[in-house]
Amino acid sequence: MTSDPRALFTLDLGSATSAVAVLGRINRRWRLVVAEAAPAGSDPDDILASLVARLVEVDAGLAAELGLGPSSFAATPRLVARTTESPRLAILATSERERAAVERLAGTAGWRANGLSLEASEPVALARLALERDVAAVILAAGESPALDPKPAVAALATLGAALSGRDPTRPLVLAGLLRTETGRFATDADGAPPPYGPAATAGDPPGAGLRRLLDAIHPGSGDGRHALVRATTDLATVLDRRVELVEIGLTGGLRVLAAPDGLEASPAFVEVAALAPPGEPDDGLVDGVLAWSSIPLDRHRMRDRLRELRLTPWGEAHGAGAVVRHAAARAALERLVAATPDISGLPAPDLIVVAGGAWAVAPGPAIALALADVVRRPGASQLAWDHARLLGPIGMIDDQVERRALLAELAEDLLVPLGTVVTPAGLRAGKSAGRLVIHGESGSSEIDLVPGGLQLVDLPPGQLGIAEFRFRDQVNLGSRARHARIEVGGGLGGLLVDLRDVPLRLPDRLDRRRALLGAWQAALWPGLDV
Amino acid sequence: MSEIEPMSVWAVPSRPLVIPAPTTWFELGPGDRILVGAGEPVTAGLSLAERRRDPRLEVGPPTLADPGDAAAGLSPGDWWAGDGHESGAVLRRRRPRTAPGEVLMAEAGRWQVVSGEHTELLEAPAAGIVREVVPGRGIGISLAGYGVPGAFAAGGPTRGRLELVTGEAGLRGSLDVGRAGAILVVGGRLDSETISRARAMGVRGIVVPGLAGKDLRDLVASEARQRASLQALAPFAVLVLDGTFRRPIATPLLVLFERLDGREVGIVSDPPLLVVDPPLDRPGVAPDWVRIRHGELAGREGRWRGSVGRRRFPAGVQLEAGTVELDDGGIVIVPIPDLERFS
Repeated sequence: MTSDPRALFTLDLGSATSAVAVLGRINRRWRLVVAEAAPAGSDPDDILASLVARLVEVDAGLAAELGLGPSSFAATPRLVARTTESPRLAILATSERERAAVERLAGTAGWRANGLSLEASEPVALARLALERDVAAVILAAGESPALDPKPAVAALATLGAALSGRDPTRPLVLAGLLRTETGRFATDADGAPPPYGPAATAGDPPGAGLRRLLDAIHPGSGDGRHALVRATTDLATVLDRRVELVEIGLTGGLRVLAAPDGLEASPAFVEVAALAPPGEPDDGLVDGVLAWSSIPLDRHRMRDRLRELRLTPWGEAHGAGAVVRHAAARAALERLVAATPDISGLPAPDLIVVAGGAWAVAPGPAIALALADVVRRPGASQLAWDHARLLGPIGMIDDQVERRALLAELAEDLLVPLGTVVTPAGLRAGKSAGRLVIHGESGSSEIDLVPGGLQLVDLPPGQLGIAEFRFRDQVNLGSRARHARIEVGGGLGGLLVDLRDVPLRLPDRLDRRRALLGAWQAALWPGLDV
Repeated sequence: MSEIEPMSVWAVPSRPLVIPAPTTWFELGPGDRILVGAGEPVTAGLSLAERRRDPRLEVGPPTLADPGDAAAGLSPGDWWAGDGHESGAVLRRRRPRTAPGEVLMAEAGRWQVVSGEHTELLEAPAAGIVREVVPGRGIGISLAGYGVPGAFAAGGPTRGRLELVTGEAGLRGSLDVGRAGAILVVGGRLDSETISRARAMGVRGIVVPGLAGKDLRDLVASEARQRASLQALAPFAVLVLDGTFRRPIATPLLVLFERLDGREVGIVSDPPLLVVDPPLDRPGVAPDWVRIRHGELAGREGRWRGSVGRRRFPAGVQLEAGTVELDDGGIVIVPIPDLERFS
């Protein structure tokens, strides 16, 4: 990006989906010209070539202006973001307490974490785990209190860990907590330094912050697409001067990040369990989680088989019942992402929530808005948008922050598809009516009654702005407590969603009633849903 | 005949019919004794390693051994042959015998070795060359022959003569001791009961197009129970070609299996493959041949007739689609990701 190109290709190559786009410099601004997402495995060059051919066919003048054609294809600069499966971390701990704490921490730091402790397992089992072929790094973990982690246990783990690290010196090893007192047992590196060590996963403010930095430092994927999304989201918040939250669900993991104009508000969470279809045999918890969001009746066995198929062929049967199952799996993954990130959920509602990732590649925009409203629930009002062309990842790959921000600023109108605005008041009292809402739009005003427990939709097309004037009977929580509120709302594919359901969402326990309710909400926001 | 490339922005997903000279990995754990070295050629049936079914930590020789002692120079990952009669070394009566095993770590002046009483042999399922040997982790082998890839596999590795059995009823009706030592290729989907019966009859493996998750879980649980009971186990594996749903075996694969009928083959699980030594008479596949993998027509085959661009499918989903002429002459429009072809 140091030269002055007139066209630019972006490629976001995920585990299941390859998304490519053509950007063009039109009237001295970068604009999105054309974009396409296809199943991974297709040659990205073939997809790009087809897109360029389409552009030449549809608007030869524009293609010529941008210098796009078969001869210039190879010379056009590219921004490429790749996302792959998270690396695996073996956790060997003195106690079950420490194992669980490190697993929680690593689970939001972009690792597939598996742990064992000397308290519950034999040393041979710990050794087997640490020696497995796909383990990218090993952490030896103890607490900070000699009362909870006595010296013999720490020494035994250090002895085992030192022997194992000597067998594979290239595999990164991290010591946590009281293990730092045992560094003398370990071989030093070429500079004479012992293995990196840090505080326990339960130490620090917030707990685990010090160990998280160490885990980030040894993470082999810091240049991947998810890390690029974090950079792009941070810059987007600065460019828009708004608090922006990004939630991404992909085949192999999820990401949640919340940024304010002056930087990140919490550590970004790379959550492997928030994968659309996690690897291995789906356990009962995973299957039940998806069933809970499914609007079609399936028993556990069939749902388990569907999830296995989704993992094997993520784009298979992406229509009909398969689309509904895929959307239920995406909502369940989003739920796991939110559950794994309570520190971000505890922050005030952001101005803008951006949804990203291949899980939404074929879903209709309004249904994506509903999924966000169902799962990412905080009192307040947020605009919803979708990184439909998957530009954020590739843009996040630009090293120079100034260039990144300049490109984001120029592309701001094309970058995100507006899904609408969701207003979620909490603390409503049950009853026939909670108050009135008047929408002042460009074409006049309309008024609706606010019914507690319901999801009310107001048609507000993309590009339109309005003022939503709420008059509640009692004080409600809209980020702050109030009876009257005037909120500027933006339109989108889903319009304005006035979400008067409980926060957090409470659904019937009986699956048939639950399905009926989910189906009714979905039908209102999913055009063409006939399964 | 329509060309299959280029067809649209999206390409029909392709999978290889056979993979020449695949590399397979055999996972081992601490205490397993490796019997081959890197670079060594192996033949089908050759012992690769002894797996410990009850690995446990035992006290080994002193870490500071006398020069010339068998224990001198040991380090973690090495194999300690033991100092009993089985080692071939001079029996020392000054200290108690120590069991053979893999050296894991040093503690209180003694090596700790991973040992165990019950072992099982890990045999090469096909000929090849050992590429990687890592004590406690596994063995990598480049096979000399070919691999037929599947979606997933359970158990293994195993080997036996390939026998084609058509349909679930066909397998139930024909299960007898005469099938002992065979790897059966079964059309349709199986249940865990039939798989257990086959195993009890001495069948060494089953190749099936689809296996439901429930049956896979039953199979894995049964395997775990038998291992825990330390019974002698004959090698057994199930290779699933497509996934969890019921589909017939794709015709090109069926033709390949017909050509392999009666030949010695093997099943490995990492990656999931049916492996066979050379030579292999690979059947040809017409360039416009496609198979519908998902949806109501899953399992049907036909000829690619061309891309039709983006189409709207049930649930309002828009996908790139193509026209397929089915084997019965019918014409259908199918989303491209629901198709597959062999490369």
